[in-house]
Amino acid sequence: MTLPGAPAIRRIDRRLRILGTEVSLIEPIRHHAEADLGLSLEFEVLDFQNCEHKAATAPDSYDIYDQCFHNLDIVWFWGALQSIDTQRIADWDHVSPLTREGRISKFASPGYGDRPVSRLYVQPNGFLGPVPSRHVAMLPTVHNFDSFGFDRRVFDAVDPEGASWALLLSPRAGGRAALVDEPAIGLLDAALAAEASGAMCFGDLGNLTVAEIDALMALLEDRRRQGHFRCLWRTADQAAELVRGGSVSVQSMWSPAYGGLGAMGDSFVEAVPAEGYRAWHGGLALARHLQGAPLDMAYEYLNWWLSGCAGAIMARRGYYMSVPERVRQSVSPQEWAYWYEGRPAEIDLPDPFGQTAVRAGSRRPGGGYWNRARHVAVWNSAMDEHNYAARAWARFGRAMRQGGACP
Amino acid sequence: MPMSANPLATLRRYELVARVLRSNIAAGAIPEGAVLKEGPLAERLQTSRAPVNAALRVLSDEGRIRRLDGQGYIVEPVPGGQRRASGGTAALDALDIPPDVARALGTRGTWQHFYEQVEREVAASLIFGEYRLVEAGLADHLGVSRTVSREILGRLHERGLIRKSQSSHWTAGPLTARILRDRFQLRAILEPAALRLAEPYIDYAAIEGISENLALKAHQVDDETLEEALFEAGAARAPNVELVDTMRRARFLPLAANRALVELGLPGSTVDRAEYHALFGLLARRRIDAAAEELRAHLQLMADKSLARLKIVAVLGGSATVAPYLTEI
Repeated sequence: MTLPGAPAIRRIDRRLRILGTEVSLIEPIRHHAEADLGLSLEFEVLDFQNCEHKAATAPDSYDIYDQCFHNLDIVWFWGALQSIDTQRIADWDHVSPLTREGRISKFASPGYGDRPVSRLYVQPNGFLGPVPSRHVAMLPTVHNFDSFGFDRRVFDAVDPEGASWALLLSPRAGGRAALVDEPAIGLLDAALAAEASGAMCFGDLGNLTVAEIDALMALLEDRRRQGHFRCLWRTADQAAELVRGGSVSVQSMWSPAYGGLGAMGDSFVEAVPAEGYRAWHGGLALARHLQGAPLDMAYEYLNWWLSGCAGAIMARRGYYMSVPERVRQSVSPQEWAYWYEGRPAEIDLPDPFGQTAVRAGSRRPGGGYWNRARHVAVWNSAMDEHNYAARAWARFGRAMRQGGACP
Repeated sequence: MPMSANPLATLRRYELVARVLRSNIAAGAIPEGAVLKEGPLAERLQTSRAPVNAALRVLSDEGRIRRLDGQGYIVEPVPGGQRRASGGTAALDALDIPPDVARALGTRGTWQHFYEQVEREVAASLIFGEYRLVEAGLADHLGVSRTVSREILGRLHERGLIRKSQSSHWTAGPLTARILRDRFQLRAILEPAALRLAEPYIDYAAIEGISENLALKAHQVDDETLEEALFEAGAARAPNVELVDTMRRARFLPLAANRALVELGLPGSTVDRAEYHALFGLLARRRIDAAAEELRAHLQLMADKSLARLKIVAVLGGSATVAPYLTEI
């Protein structure tokens, strides 16, 4: 109640606008964060390419950018972001060595390409680099180790454990192969397949030369003409739909898609690639325009992401968080055992929306978190020739769509 | 580059204009307090307004003139120079145009009127991919004869912007990270060496002027202007025509790519002012070896920045901004 004559108290607009992708911007996250922080959140969910375009060209349209480390180059050098002061991040010391140091342990493979640590710290000259400093460009959050999935009825002799990326280019796919439509992701799935099949040999898998990009795209174009590819997809839902509809026998896969395969869930399995995973790492970045109270609010939101609750929600869609110990405190022992330790599920486990995602008795392919994190072949990467690669990839995508193969 | 009896013929138009204005201000033909305006100057020098505009900006960065809000530029005091009673428009009839400069400006035929525009448009397209240029298409677009369009293409070829494909078609681009990196490497080899050779010929007055301006925080100069001034007053003074020519060509693509990015809305200024301050400061104090070393490190940093900036282009469509006579391959 306001007494007559009392000074009016200015109500602060407790509202944050988050720009990101379907990877992390889901309703359960919004509900929990709003309840815990007492603020209102607006999520703008775009696909990867449209998201980074908007982040770079309309930096005033959002407060927080929730995306992947590999496209930081683009948004950072556009001057759309400001650095994050790690001294304002309560759990900074608990963030995993996977990002802070570049690998999960001394004996793990760091992987080719844009390791998150190489984009993490703000260097004195304004660049991003691996030398630790107080300020970071992106707060590391959700991440995963991706592979591909395949239909065991088609590839009946292939054991998912140790299956090769070469399967994506196998003639046995019979015109029912698909890739994720993103030049910093799908192109690397294709490169892994090309190298694994012996068709090509790259000097640096995470930083292809123009000649290597040309050769890879020529190989893909050749396969396209032969009708090898069914489609390119952009969201996990599209990927799941392709499997459910029986349109693909092998394709790039993202973790949440496995929960939506329905009756195909028994035959379409996740590979544990012999060559290693294609890894990615997401995070949160602060828009340049933030200051004062909105900036404080943004830091509240960043800290909330590391507090455990967000990690629990993300775990239920198969994603890992940069602060595993905090997640452990926020999930049930059965969930922790299945998602992080790679042990068989003791009971049915839910997805973030409460639907059963994992049936009792099943076991996550690839084992526990620390085992999977040791086997990174390559990180999603915006390589030096990204501009060239992205244009070549776009031409491939146009040719696919003109062929009537894509939605 | 063709041999030329007049060494000034290889200079860009704005450089010629800047040269005329500089010498006239120094000699007092354009006195302190006089106001310089783009239109009348362009008319007097028989050139278009763009090079006059560029020349005025150069002189402003050198501290010789100062911008008046929307009314041209006012001439700053010259030590020992004449003072004009009131700040009226400069009497341009008194302007002394050295004969060699007049010849260099005058020997430019029709194709030169279009060249800089075409060069800018072609350079801007390179970051978006590979394009074909047809002589007749360019001629139609500009409304000129095919002879003129052929001369423009020849000049673009000389500057390394376009090449002939195996099927004898003119093609441009794509500008890749590899090409950009190679150019910067070439610059990092040549420019510090040229700076050492140029030691006795460096325009120390210009360097000192910029160095002092950089010390004033309020003085805002964009990177490109500083880069140009640094080169023209320093390494470009090396007494080796072939070397200077090679350096100019090596600088051209990175510069053109950067301009295209700025036109697309990318923030232009990305280098810390302190870095330029250190570089110009070393030169002003005649510490050439240290300056050459600093320049080499600076070019390495510029290479990294340029590569990072080139990646950004990937998220831009681009085709809408490409000139109509360029056909994507």
